[in-house]
Amino acid sequence: MTVMNKIVRLSWANIKKHKLEAVALMILVMLCMMLMGSALASFGGIKEIFPYTMKSTESFQNYLLMTENAYDEEYEDIIREDERVEELVRSQAVYSMSTNYLDRSGKEQALYMCFITMDNNNKLQKTNIETSLSDEEIAALEHPVYMPYAVQDTMGYKEGDKFDMVFGTRKFSFTVAGFYDTLLFDSAGGGFKMIISDSDYHILETVLTKYEIIGYNDCKGEGGTELLMDLINKCTERSHKDVSSGIIALTYNSIDEGITYGIKLMLKFLVIMAAVIIISVAVMIRFRIVGDIKEHIVSIGVLEALGYRSREITLSYVIEYLIISLAGIAVGTGGCMLITPVLLHIGEIIAGHHGSGSVALVPMALTALAILAFVAFIAFIKANMVRKYPPVRALRKGIGDNHFKKERLPLRNTRKSVHLRLAMKGFLQNFKQNLGLTLCITISSLSIVVSFIMFSFFSKDMNAISASAGMELSNLRIELMSSVNAEEFAEELMEMPEVRKAVPTSSMNFLVTASDFNEKMLPLAFSDYSVTENIFPFEGRFPEHDNEVMISSMFSKVYKLKTGDSMTLEYLNVKRKYIVSGVVTSVTNGGVNLYITDDGLRRIIPTYSPDTIELYLNDGVETNDFRYVLTEKYGRSIADASQGSIQNGTYEEKIKAAAEKKIAELMANSGASHIEYAIRSGDTVIKGNSDGFIIRSIMNIGDILKTQLGGLALAIAILTSLFMGISALVVMIILFILMESSVRKQRREFGIMKGMGYTSRELMLQLAFRIMPASVFSVAIGTVVGVSFIKLLTSFLGRISVNIPAVIVLDIILLMFCFACAYIGARKIKKISVCELMAE
Amino acid sequence: MSSSVLHTEKLCKTFSNGGVQQHVIKNLDIEIREKDFTVIMGASGSGKSTLLYALSGMDKPTLGKVFFGKEDISGYTNDQLAVFRRRNCGFVFQSIHLLENMTVFDNIMTGALVAQKNSPELVKKAEELLRKVGIKEEIWKKYPNQLSGGECQRVGIVRAVINDPAILFADEPTGSLNSSSGRDVLDIFTELHSKGQSIVMVTHDIKTALRGNRVIFISDGSVVGEHEMPVYGSDDLKKRRDGLQDFLDRMGW
Repeated sequence: MTVMNKIVRLSWANIKKHKLEAVALMILVMLCMMLMGSALASFGGIKEIFPYTMKSTESFQNYLLMTENAYDEEYEDIIREDERVEELVRSQAVYSMSTNYLDRSGKEQALYMCFITMDNNNKLQKTNIETSLSDEEIAALEHPVYMPYAVQDTMGYKEGDKFDMVFGTRKFSFTVAGFYDTLLFDSAGGGFKMIISDSDYHILETVLTKYEIIGYNDCKGEGGTELLMDLINKCTERSHKDVSSGIIALTYNSIDEGITYGIKLMLKFLVIMAAVIIISVAVMIRFRIVGDIKEHIVSIGVLEALGYRSREITLSYVIEYLIISLAGIAVGTGGCMLITPVLLHIGEIIAGHHGSGSVALVPMALTALAILAFVAFIAFIKANMVRKYPPVRALRKGIGDNHFKKERLPLRNTRKSVHLRLAMKGFLQNFKQNLGLTLCITISSLSIVVSFIMFSFFSKDMNAISASAGMELSNLRIELMSSVNAEEFAEELMEMPEVRKAVPTSSMNFLVTASDFNEKMLPLAFSDYSVTENIFPFEGRFPEHDNEVMISSMFSKVYKLKTGDSMTLEYLNVKRKYIVSGVVTSVTNGGVNLYITDDGLRRIIPTYSPDTIELYLNDGVETNDFRYVLTEKYGRSIADASQGSIQNGTYEEKIKAAAEKKIAELMANSGASHIEYAIRSGDTVIKGNSDGFIIRSIMNIGDILKTQLGGLALAIAILTSLFMGISALVVMIILFILMESSVRKQRREFGIMKGMGYTSRELMLQLAFRIMPASVFSVAIGTVVGVSFIKLLTSFLGRISVNIPAVIVLDIILLMFCFACAYIGARKIKKISVCELMAE
Repeated sequence: MSSSVLHTEKLCKTFSNGGVQQHVIKNLDIEIREKDFTVIMGASGSGKSTLLYALSGMDKPTLGKVFFGKEDISGYTNDQLAVFRRRNCGFVFQSIHLLENMTVFDNIMTGALVAQKNSPELVKKAEELLRKVGIKEEIWKKYPNQLSGGECQRVGIVRAVINDPAILFADEPTGSLNSSSGRDVLDIFTELHSKGQSIVMVTHDIKTALRGNRVIFISDGSVVGEHEMPVYGSDDLKKRRDGLQDFLDRMGW
């Protein structure tokens, strides 16, 4: 016990002697504990969000949404008959990807929206309304709307606020009555499900696309993708209809993934960062122990001579680092307790759901234990080198070292600066130590370079991000009525001075099957791909012939398909072989985009004709303004017609308006392609047809992209900035500790050199230059690996541009930062007193 | 009489330890003459080493001035003093203080290259000096811990004189050596002096002090006496020793 007491005192004395280094190391351990502990503690809470929401809302595990046109009464029976399906419910809602809302500045912003009545919503889930308004206040509200929690959290709406939905040129105003939790349409990415009154719903069902919703549970409890595919195939076989057209399918896994993917990614980033720090801690402990043993070798000899065993001296080092780590862990745990609830709250905001909110303490305790065990192990391994120094050898300052080593860089061959030469000698003499430093700086550089590339990419304007979308991102996407000839309409649009280009394409609301892989694919058809502006072949070329297709890089990697390979596509039992002509970087639609020519698509869908126009406007043309111009010029969209007022005007006008509203309803919801009417009123025959209905919907792609990717881009930009900051801090602390340790280790040497006339500045420069070869090598390796990693990511995800000159500038800044940190870290050289040293 | 190379005006050096002030050098005026071999003697704790460090710019005085020629170096910053040392001073220490991680030759070049650029002449000069002090070529690439104490001190002397310093300072240069090695080292000092090298040496050994031509005795931080002698070797050694002994006896040695 007495010996143990002495050992602890020895450790404590060493900590007090080198307070700053101990504090720096403590900060690293604290950071590691904070990041790792809070990330692991949050994982549990985040994982609970989905099951908790499922339970509290009594939601279904899987949902199938089909447009009213596509839906067949038989489907419900088909699904119900499957033995894997238990519990099934059917409900209705309206949904559109062409809806906008007015933000607080009155500007239109794209947002997918679903509207449902309370009764229909109650069929799908338990609706727990949260509101600060009384029943009387709600009853007094005009057009009340209940919104998902996410709208409250991410868009800042509160009870009593006005919410204006815009479809076409019409505005529909609601007042926020409260909020509720939902798993269906719960994010800005997929859209929000709003509960509205029956009367408001009846207005909107004439405007937006009506969907039949089937909610069902999988008896296995989870997953459902395989079951979903089987159900779709069964429905297709039985009905001989294209069930995949206009279908929206949500499975348990896809909902869970959609809810927690972002926050889980962020937590994984934090764990990686913590791993980088713990490696740095290991390297730092190694530096310090080696430096300390060399500095105190005579004292070690004295202790051994006094009867201390080398094991006890080793233990004193282990205890020293355990004490430092414990201090770091204690502070870090405090940080964890503060950060974890914040992370959980961020997770809930990102997920758009409220979780159980409990902070798990076990992962924190396990993290603390793991860090302590790791530190003890590293300290023991290194401090065990004390065994190499029996008392006599230790008292002789460890003679036996550096005796017959090879002379490196003799000074007689010095050409220019002796300081540089001495720095290089120092570098070679401390080669082992530099390996550790190289490892730390390489990892930090890698993380900084990757973060920088991601940051500069995601903090740029949306055009940069859109480059990885793998689909056309024109100003407006116009979906046409089925009776309209897209080519002719495109030519007509081209005559407008605001229009730069109008390209007919497919509507992207039906899927074809890649039979070889049983994978549904989303066809993007163009007659000539050379007119596209945002689809970039990663390898190969655009499809030119009717037997060629291009696939996404993600699809290519997953199914190991290369340019020149062939694949089979199927649509309603029509199968055709196609050759892969190229691969495209694409982050949209889960990588299932299929690039095909119009003729190519007609091989499996003979009736196919383009029904959408990608419209590109000239610079300076305001997209939303032009959307109104377009509506004015081409008469009314269905939305306008269905909301047309029949309160004013002549009797004839009122009849005409009512007739057009009916036409709009039929065209929007029943798939009618052409309608004519004639109504006799006295001697007058009021006639009309659907020729004025050209446009089904108009989407502002830029706004949609901003809504869907803007938040992600911001999150990545913040996360990468944080990453860069922490990495830089780690590099700074590493170099600081290394320099302090080097100055201590070489105190005598620097004192002698000062006596010879070397200035403190020159010696600090020498020390700073000494780490530069390792820094240059590390930064170069970090950059190469980082850029390669981004390239690899690019091949999977999309076209993340790497600005090589900017990366080179970053590398130079990084090297200057390393140099500056090392130079400042070596400032203790100034405190070395030549006299004291000489008089020793 | 030679001209003054270094002199002090009311030099004071005070150390403070735990609030207790210790005045090691008190209002000391001293002049070091060019081409003299000045020996500073005194009892232990008399302040002789402190004086050496103050004179050589290793340490700053608490009060008073130190002039190198006409240049007052007492107000220099630490870095300015370092530059002053590299240009004007050479040092030989009792503990020798060679750089353990460098070879013999690199130890010399480390001292040389801080003051001058590398050249074949410089390398040749280092080689000649090493030969002259009896360090054979085969040990030039050896490390200090592979050398004897005498060899190390001879290397230390070469390192000190490689830049042709205006003054060579030596603090008990033979203190850690055996008598034979000590004699060899002193012979080198004598030879250097005979060639016109100004030397300031601190010692408490009479045999060592005999090599100088001027002995200054310090007591309680003040100069209490001075003894002049002819250049070593130009007079009778017994007479020289007796003269110095008389002087030291008077000083209470």
